[in-house]
Amino acid sequence: MPALDIAQEELGYLTADAMSEVAELLNLDAGYVEGVATFYSLFHLTPTGRHHFYVCTNLSCTLRGAVEICDHIKQRIGVEEFKEVSADGLFSVEEVECLGACEYAPMMRYQQSFHYDLTPDKVDTLIDAARREVSSSEDREAHG
Amino acid sequence: MADAGAALRGSHGLERHHLLTADFGTPDLHRLDVYRRCGGYRSLEKALKEMAPEEVHAEVKASGLRGRGGAGFPTGTKWGFVPKDVPGPRYVVVNADESEPGTSKDRYLMENSPHLVLEGACIAAYAVGAHQAWIYIRGEYDRPHRLLTDAIGELRTEGILGPKPFGKDYPLDIQMYRGHGAYICGEETALLESLEGKRAQPRSRPPFPAVKGAWGRPTLLNNVETLANLAWIIEHGGAEYARFGRERSRGTRLLSVSGNVERPGVYEIELGVSFRHVIMELAGGPPPGRRVKVFWPGGSSAQVLPEPMLDLSTDLDEIARAGSMAGSGGVIVMDDAHCVVKAAHRLLRFYAHESCGKCTPCRTGGDWAVRTYERILSAEGSAVDLEILDRIQESVQYGRCLCALGDSAGQVIASTMQHFRDEYEEHALRNECSAEVPRRLDRTPRTEPHPQQKGAS
Amino acid sequence: MPDADNLVTLTIDGQTVTVPRGTLIVEAAKKVSVEIPVFCYHHKLDPVGACRLCLVEISPGPPKPQTGCTTPVAEGMVVRTNSALAVGARADILEYELVNHPLDCPICDKGGECPLQDYTFRHGYPTSRIDAPRRHFQKPVPLSDKIALDRERCVLCYRCTRYYDEIAWQQELTAEQRGVDTYIASQFDQPLQSIFSGNIIDLCPVGALTSRLWRFESRPWDMDHTASVCAKCAVGCSVTLWQRRNQLVRVTSHENNDIDEGWICDRGRFDYAEVNSPERLRTPRLGGRDSTWDEAMVALVDGLKGKTLGVSLRQDVTNEELFLITRLLAGPWRGARVALERRTRIPVPSGETLRIKDLDDCKAIVVVASDTADDVPIVNLRIKKAVSKRGARLLIVHPNDLDLDRWPHAVHVRNEPGKAAEELLKLASNELLSEGPVAVLWGDGRGSEDTKELASAVAELASKVDGRAMPLYRATNERGSLAAGLTATDDDLEGCQAVVCFGPPAPGRIPTSAMFVAVWDTVLRPEHGDPDVVLPAVSFAETQGSYTNLEGQVQFLRPILPVEPPMRESWEVFSDLGQRLGVGAMDFLGIFQIQREAARAIPRFAALANPPPPERQPTPVLYGPARP
Repeated sequence: MPALDIAQEELGYLTADAMSEVAELLNLDAGYVEGVATFYSLFHLTPTGRHHFYVCTNLSCTLRGAVEICDHIKQRIGVEEFKEVSADGLFSVEEVECLGACEYAPMMRYQQSFHYDLTPDKVDTLIDAARREVSSSEDREAHG
Repeated sequence: MADAGAALRGSHGLERHHLLTADFGTPDLHRLDVYRRCGGYRSLEKALKEMAPEEVHAEVKASGLRGRGGAGFPTGTKWGFVPKDVPGPRYVVVNADESEPGTSKDRYLMENSPHLVLEGACIAAYAVGAHQAWIYIRGEYDRPHRLLTDAIGELRTEGILGPKPFGKDYPLDIQMYRGHGAYICGEETALLESLEGKRAQPRSRPPFPAVKGAWGRPTLLNNVETLANLAWIIEHGGAEYARFGRERSRGTRLLSVSGNVERPGVYEIELGVSFRHVIMELAGGPPPGRRVKVFWPGGSSAQVLPEPMLDLSTDLDEIARAGSMAGSGGVIVMDDAHCVVKAAHRLLRFYAHESCGKCTPCRTGGDWAVRTYERILSAEGSAVDLEILDRIQESVQYGRCLCALGDSAGQVIASTMQHFRDEYEEHALRNECSAEVPRRLDRTPRTEPHPQQKGAS
Repeated sequence: MPDADNLVTLTIDGQTVTVPRGTLIVEAAKKVSVEIPVFCYHHKLDPVGACRLCLVEISPGPPKPQTGCTTPVAEGMVVRTNSALAVGARADILEYELVNHPLDCPICDKGGECPLQDYTFRHGYPTSRIDAPRRHFQKPVPLSDKIALDRERCVLCYRCTRYYDEIAWQQELTAEQRGVDTYIASQFDQPLQSIFSGNIIDLCPVGALTSRLWRFESRPWDMDHTASVCAKCAVGCSVTLWQRRNQLVRVTSHENNDIDEGWICDRGRFDYAEVNSPERLRTPRLGGRDSTWDEAMVALVDGLKGKTLGVSLRQDVTNEELFLITRLLAGPWRGARVALERRTRIPVPSGETLRIKDLDDCKAIVVVASDTADDVPIVNLRIKKAVSKRGARLLIVHPNDLDLDRWPHAVHVRNEPGKAAEELLKLASNELLSEGPVAVLWGDGRGSEDTKELASAVAELASKVDGRAMPLYRATNERGSLAAGLTATDDDLEGCQAVVCFGPPAPGRIPTSAMFVAVWDTVLRPEHGDPDVVLPAVSFAETQGSYTNLEGQVQFLRPILPVEPPMRESWEVFSDLGQRLGVGAMDFLGIFQIQREAARAIPRFAALANPPPPERQPTPVLYGPARP
C-alpha cells in the first residue's frame, strides 16, 4: 500500500502501468496489486481534478448541512455528479464517509488537511484561491 | 492550513476529572520536551525500571479499564490472552483507524497529545513482551499522522525508542502504517490483513489475534484511547483509576458529541454521568426551538435511543441493559427537524459501501436494504418493503455474518424501526414525511472558550 | 494408526459419529449422511467461513450459530443442522445468494450439476421475495481462450482466487472493488496465463466459471463418464473423461490423493480437440487414397524390407504396446533405432524412487534442472503444497527464475547450464537439508545437463542427507519404455531409410534420409510430410491399456469411446504386423491376454496381470465433477 501511495501522489491516480511497476518492484503479481488498489477508497483508479474535495456526508455532517455544501460545490465547479472532473480539469468533489472530525461538521478533506465548519462562503474562498493559484502558476510557466 | 490550531472543541478544563485531557491546551504539547515537562514518560520509565511486566499487567487489571474502541472488553483480560511461552516476536498494534460515524475522539487525542498515545503503546508492549508496535492510522488522518511521525522521530533521537529505553535492556520501536480508506479496517482481523498488505477482509475467529495475529505472531490490538489511559494508570496505580466511574465501568472516557447540538466537541466525562448531562449541559443541547428526537450513544453502530432515554447513564453495562451499546463513544444527536428514515438510509448506505464483500449476508443484505430504503423514500414503497427490512435485519445479526459490520447494519434498521415505526409506515404506506421540517442550518459553533471552562487554557 | 486418543465422538442431528481429532464438522457430517451445504469451503483449500452457508448450532458453545467448515469437532459436541435456527439461517443465505443471481439456468452450463440449484431446492425458501433490480455485469467475460467468466452468476465464494493464491502461488486472478460491487477479474483483464487455470472451472460451485471448449455442449445427464489416466505427461493424473454421442466432450479432474489430489493442468484438461477432429483418420490410406487394412499392411511389410529402420513412438504409447514392440525389436526389427516423443534422457532408476504423495511429509525439497510447472505441472503443485502448507524447505538449482521463486524463503542456486551436478553436490552440507526426509526432484534441464552425471550426483546427495530421488521423466510412458528395456537411443533418426511413425514424429519431422515412411496416428500432421502408408490410430480416449508414470506406478486407462470398424485397436495392429513379419506367438485374442504375457515377460509389468475390473456405473451427478 505505501508503494501505491507514492505512485498515486506522483501521477494523481493509479494507472495500470503504475500498478504493474509496483508489482514488479515488490515481486508480486499485478493481479494482487490491482485487487488491493481497488479495495480501498483512497486509491483513485480514474483521474481526479487537480483540486479534489472529499466532503463527509455521513450522519453528523448531514445533520449540519453537508449535502447543501456538496450541492454548492458542484454548482461552483460546474459538475453534476460526484467524482466528475470539471471541464477545465481543475476540480472534482467526492462524498466520503465519516472523517472523524464530527465536532467540526460540516467538514471536508482537501490537500491532505481538514477544513472545518464549512459554509458556502468558506468553500467559495477555497475554490477562488485554488483558481488563482492555478492561473498564477500558468503565468509563471508562460513567462518563465 | 485550515485545521492547524483549530480551537479545541471539548471539555478540557471543564469537568472535575481529567485523567486523559488534563494537560490539553498546553501550547506545543505534541513536542517531547513540553510533554515531559508536564510529566510525560515518567510512567514508562517507572514501568521499565521499577516494575515487572506482570506488575504492569496487574495494575491494568486492577484499574478495570475496558476497551474504548467499541467492544468494551476488559483490557487486563485481553492482555492475558497473549501467550507468554511462545517463542519469537510478538506485536502490539494500535488501532487508530477510527472510522465509526460520529467518533472523533482518537483524532482529538492524537492531535493534542501524540506522546500520550505513544507512551501507552510502549507500556503495553512491555507488558505483553513485544518489542515492536505498529500504529495503524487511517489514511485520511493526515495531521495526526504527521504529528505522530514527528513524535516518533523525537523519541528515537532521545533513545526512548531504541535498544535501551531509559537504560533498560528492552528494545522498543514504533512504526506508522497508513490505511487507505476502509471502515472495515477498524475490525481487528481485517486491520491485520491490511497491515499485511492485502485486501482488508476479516478472518474467521478462532484463532484470535492474541494467539495468531500479524504475520501469524501473537498480537495485542488496542484502541488509541485505551492505550492513552495507561500512563495515568501506571503513575497513580490501577486502584486509584478504579475510584472513578462505576463498578464495572471504571475511570473516564472521551465522548465525541456531534450532530444537532450547540457545542459539539470531545468531552472527557466520568463514566456514569447521564447522557442528559453530556448532551444538554456539556454540549448545549439542540438549537433553540428544537428538541432532541433521537440519539446514538456510541457511534452509528449503537442502537438508537429516543429522547425519553436521555437520563440513561453512560455506564457501559447500563447502556447495554437499555438495549444499546456504549460502543465507540460517538454520541450523535438528532433533533426533531430531521427524518429518522432518511438518517437510517444514509447509515445503511455507509455500511453497504464499507462492506468488505467477503460474507454473503452483509454484502448482499446491506445493498438490498439500501435499495429498499430508496424505494420507500421515493414513493415506491409498500408494506412488503417493511417486511423485507425486518427480514434483512434479522438475517445479518446474531452470528450470521463473519464480523460485526453486519450486526451494526442490522441494528440500525432494527432499532430505528422499533422506536420510530410510525415514520417508516408514513413513508412506506402513505409516502409522507411529517418529520422533516424546513429549517435553517445549524450555525457554526463559537470558537471562543466554553463559558464554563476554568482557567485560561 | 487408529488410536483412541486421536478419535472424537460427537452427535450430529441425534446421530453419533466418531472421527479423527481435527476433523471439521462439515466433513464429520458426511459420515452420517447429513448434508451441510457449503460454497466457500473446499476440502483442498484452507477454510475461511466466508459464505456463511454452513451455519449450524453447536452446544456447548456460544448462542450464535457457528460455521461448520471452520470448527473442528470436540468430544461430546452436539451439533444441530436441523434446528429452526440453522434451517432458517441456511435458507436466508441461499436467498441472499439469489438476490443478484441472474437465474439463467436454461442457458447456464452448470445446470444439472449445480450446487446452487440443488441446495436451493433442498434447503432454500420455496418462493422468492426479491423484486429489487439486480446488479448487472457485462457477460460472459473471456478470462482466456478456454475459460469464460459470468460475473452475474458469481456468488463470491472466492474459491477461485484462493485456489490461485494457495495452491498455484499466483495472483493473476483477483477480486476487485469492495462490498456488493466486488467482482472477479484477471489482472488488467489480460488472458490467464497459468497452466493451472482450468481447475477453477471444477472449483466454481455455480456457472460463473465455465469451459469455453465445452460451452453449450451437453447437459450432465446426457453424458457418460469414466475415470481414466491423463495421457499428456509422465505424472499420470487421474482424469474423468466424458462422452456424448461418441464424442469426447470434456475432461475434468478425478481425485487421486496419491498423485493429483483433484487438480489437473490445462494440457490434460483442454488438449483433446484432436479426438473429435473431423480430420481423424478412420481408414488406412495408400498413396493418397483410401485402402484396406490388408493392402496397407502388405505395403508396410514390403516397404520395410531391406531398409534400416527408425521407429518413432508417441509419448503415450501404452505398456502393452511397448511389450509388443519389444517382441518386434527382438525379431525382425532388431537393430532399429527408437525415438520417444518428449522424452528426457534420464536413465533407468536404480531402485525405488520417491512417490509423489511422499512429498507431503518431506522436510526439505530440492528441485534440480527442471521447470516443474512446465515439465510435470501437478508435481509442481504438490511441491507448493508441501512448502506452503506443510512447512517443507525449498531449494532450487536452475539457471532461470522459476515460479517457485515466489516463495520468499526459497534458496535458489543459479547454476550455469551444464553445471547442475556440481552445484547440487555443494548442497550436501547446506543446513536446510540437515533434517530429513529430503526429496530430490531432478530433470534433464531440457537437454542442457548430462543426465548420467546428474543421476550420480543426485544419488550421492540423497545418500548424504536422508534423501530420496524422484527423477522427473516427461513423456507420458517414458518410464514404461525404460521398464520394457526400450532405451530410446536417440531422437534424431537421421540416416534411417524406413521410418515407422507411431504418433507425431519425435524428432519433430520425418528424417530426410527416409525413403519409406509409414505413419500411424490419429490425424495426419504437417510434420508427417507425405507418407507412403497411413494407418489410423486410436486416441487415448479409445485405448485399453496402462501407463507407468514417473513414480513407477502402473495405472490403467479406461476408454470412454468405442472403437468401431474400420478402426482397430493398437494391440490388434501390432499383433497383425507381428504375424506378418513372422514373429511367433503374436496371435493375441484380446488385451487381457497381452497383459498377462507382458506381466510374465517383463518384471516391472507384473501389475498388468491384475487389471482392475470395469468400473461400476457411477452414481448420478449431483455435485458436479469436483465435490462442492
